[in-house]
Amino acid sequence: MADYLLEMRGITKEFSGVKAIDGIDLKVRPGECVGLCGENGAGKSTLMKVLSAVYPPGSWTGTILWEGAELKARNIRETEEAGIVIIHQELMMVPHLSVAENIFLGSEPTTFGGLIDYDAMNARAAELMIQLKMPDINVALPVMAYSGGKQQLIEIAKALNKNAKLLILDEPTSALTSSETRTLLDLVAEFKARGMACVYISHKLDEVAEIADTVTVIRDGTHVATHPMAELTTDKIITMMVGREMKNLFPREDHDIGEVIFEARNVTVWDTTNTERKLVDDVSFTLRRGEILGVAGLVGAGRTELASHLFGCWRGEHTGAILLDGKEVRVHSPLQAVRQGICMVPEDRKRHGIVPLMGVGHNITLSVLRNYTRFGLIDAEDEMAVIRNEIDRMRIKTAQPLLPIASLSGGNQQKAVVAKMLLPGPRVLILDEPTRGVDVGAKYEIYKLIFELAKQGVAVLMISSELPEVLGISDRVLVMGEGRLRGDFPNTGLSQEQILAAALGKQTRDAA
Amino acid sequence: MTLTRKDLRTFLSSYKIVALLIVIAVIWAFFGFMTYDADLGGSQFLTARNFSNLLRQMAITGMLASAMVFVIVAGEIDLSVGSLLGLLGGIAAVLDVIYHWPLAGTIAVVILLGIVIGLGVGWLTAYQGIPSFIVTLGGMLVFRGAVLGLTGGITVAPASEELKVIGQGYLPGGLGDGLAAILFVLLVVTAFRTRAGRQKHGLPVSSMAAEVARLVAIGAVILGFVVTLNSYQGVPVPVLILLVILGIFTIVGNKTVFGRRIYAVGSNLEATRLSGVDVNLVKMLVFGLMGLMCALAGLTTTARLAAGTPSAGFGGELDAIASCFIGGTSMRGGIGSVAGALVGAVIMASLDNGMSMLGVETFWQQIVKGVILVLAVWMDIVSSGNTR
Repeated sequence: MADYLLEMRGITKEFSGVKAIDGIDLKVRPGECVGLCGENGAGKSTLMKVLSAVYPPGSWTGTILWEGAELKARNIRETEEAGIVIIHQELMMVPHLSVAENIFLGSEPTTFGGLIDYDAMNARAAELMIQLKMPDINVALPVMAYSGGKQQLIEIAKALNKNAKLLILDEPTSALTSSETRTLLDLVAEFKARGMACVYISHKLDEVAEIADTVTVIRDGTHVATHPMAELTTDKIITMMVGREMKNLFPREDHDIGEVIFEARNVTVWDTTNTERKLVDDVSFTLRRGEILGVAGLVGAGRTELASHLFGCWRGEHTGAILLDGKEVRVHSPLQAVRQGICMVPEDRKRHGIVPLMGVGHNITLSVLRNYTRFGLIDAEDEMAVIRNEIDRMRIKTAQPLLPIASLSGGNQQKAVVAKMLLPGPRVLILDEPTRGVDVGAKYEIYKLIFELAKQGVAVLMISSELPEVLGISDRVLVMGEGRLRGDFPNTGLSQEQILAAALGKQTRDAA
Repeated sequence: MTLTRKDLRTFLSSYKIVALLIVIAVIWAFFGFMTYDADLGGSQFLTARNFSNLLRQMAITGMLASAMVFVIVAGEIDLSVGSLLGLLGGIAAVLDVIYHWPLAGTIAVVILLGIVIGLGVGWLTAYQGIPSFIVTLGGMLVFRGAVLGLTGGITVAPASEELKVIGQGYLPGGLGDGLAAILFVLLVVTAFRTRAGRQKHGLPVSSMAAEVARLVAIGAVILGFVVTLNSYQGVPVPVLILLVILGIFTIVGNKTVFGRRIYAVGSNLEATRLSGVDVNLVKMLVFGLMGLMCALAGLTTTARLAAGTPSAGFGGELDAIASCFIGGTSMRGGIGSVAGALVGAVIMASLDNGMSMLGVETFWQQIVKGVILVLAVWMDIVSSGNTR
């Protein structure tokens, strides 16, 4: 019996001559949890795609030993049969199928006649739900009836059902609430106790620190170090990931806060499918020139829906006045919002942020293209000058300005989306989870930019689920819970516990 | 072995149009060989006269395809263009033959109607949210029904001499030469200006030798094109119209805000909307453009037949859509070019023309065209490495 369950040695994968990963080693013992850390674009996903044979053998070099013998899987199905199961960052669910149908997708139990044996399937699925401590879930309901967090746990049920020996979790908690994250971490700990190994990929280093026995750090496609977690701290991991010392995560800068320029009054937003349900319930607030207002709350608190109303892009019913400089303005479409000086960087970058087939540069100029025309034709010269300027200013790393944006790392895509929404010259900038799925270096640059904008007098509304970020950046913090405004605190001596307590409704509204 | 295949793939995906031109050459060589007849003094397919005919045949499909590209790039489809062509052509015939309207009046009314109907279809799709497949499937029936009602199911003839010029006329040789020369100079100038601009901004450019070779090749094609056509009767008027459309639409697609937005809408509608673009307007205008092209195609059809017939443009939507897909337009939107679609139209027209000349039965012609469509898209998928 080999010491290691999995041993990847000297894995190198090239994309058209560029080495995405170069000689990476990764070893996992039975029953061990390995944390895999690295900035976006460091090569974590590429490494996992090599392991799961998304990139089949032959398209990369190096060796993979699985239980002491060479792994010869040629596709995902074969790696799963060997016992390696990946749970991707993006959920791979068929929303209209039931929970049980999703769990058994591709391996449906059948009766003698070849029909799906729903009784056996539902019974087994319900059993799995109990193992996952979610006995409330009705496995016959469509998956879309449950929140993203629950769906993530259902994905894990799917992996359990496949008798996984090695579970790979790729950013599993990026869309989870803190209680759901807790459940997930407890589960992983329990699996470990039962002898299942896992690879935990996450930007949330606290989670890695809690769950991992060993941590492997990669940077720019190369292996930096592997150490037992006991010898490490999160700061040390960050230093290894970034390759330089990160003294201050939040580059706070002084900025003047001026008069109230923006006001939202009695915003109420109803659900699009269940039209009786209020997602935002009578929320009012003001925003001052040069102020950074953080909006905290649990997932599902109605923060994104509030932002959608302010930017004129909510599809369902909504009411509430929006005032700029004390005068009510009409914002019924993103176009009107942008024209009034309200811009928004959406939460879901892939679906709402980037236009994947177009170049980085053309993404950046999308909202202001009309400014660079002469006689109705785009002046390529003018446009390129702006693009290059933005790429430099935002420090977007791209081989050339018109490379398709989809080929950039998440952090660089995000910087391009932010640049796109800055070009119209907003007075009010709404940032919805601006650093989600963004690596440490890019995060730092985005924070710096936020302070820079505040200095210039832009009012910033930043929605974030990361409390340290909310506390590190904001001048004032709004807390939402179940669609209502549950707190409005000046950010002086505010603690994470206070915010969480308010979000959970444990404290009456603080008049600040 | 994998390396060579990969190289070929890279070559074909970056020079898609070259691959399509090779396909045309193969098709022409095949028909040229098959129609060779020593008694008649050579191949019957590869003559100036047939070349001229072939181009006139493809002009109408080409007009539809050049706007259809934008419709498909924007993520929509238009099944009603054949019927709308028939209706607008029928209206042109009625105004011309029965009411003896002056040509300018007929053209103006037909074009205006085309744009208005197109915008109407676009409004239903973009603002009312009815899928374009449904709206235009309905439109296909409505417009065809309207033609039948308008013409009473009979041919409206004869068209006036002025109208016939649009479909049957030729450009005098000297004018054709002059226009070709101007076109070539323009192409050379823009090529070098674009090149200089790209270099200045650190964008990749092909080597100077490749650039010159490309321009020489284009020059040779233009020269061959004009010389061949002039050796018959000159550049046919509908072909000239199509070339002008090709030029304008290529500029619209690459150099205007509207064009950029069409591609953005097709690639990611939501992200484009959230960037402050009026995506509904973009979609409606694309259908308006499609309506305009139906009007031009309708006028050309009526002029070419010198009559309005109730079946004019029947099946035209399928030829136009097939041309787009053969020419590399993506079904999922966001990718496609007018030049590609026109090359696709030439391929379709060559098959029609060649097979008719060989006396292949109609049913075989349809089967072959269907197979070629599927084959072309399959080749495209294989060459771009998008197989599942």
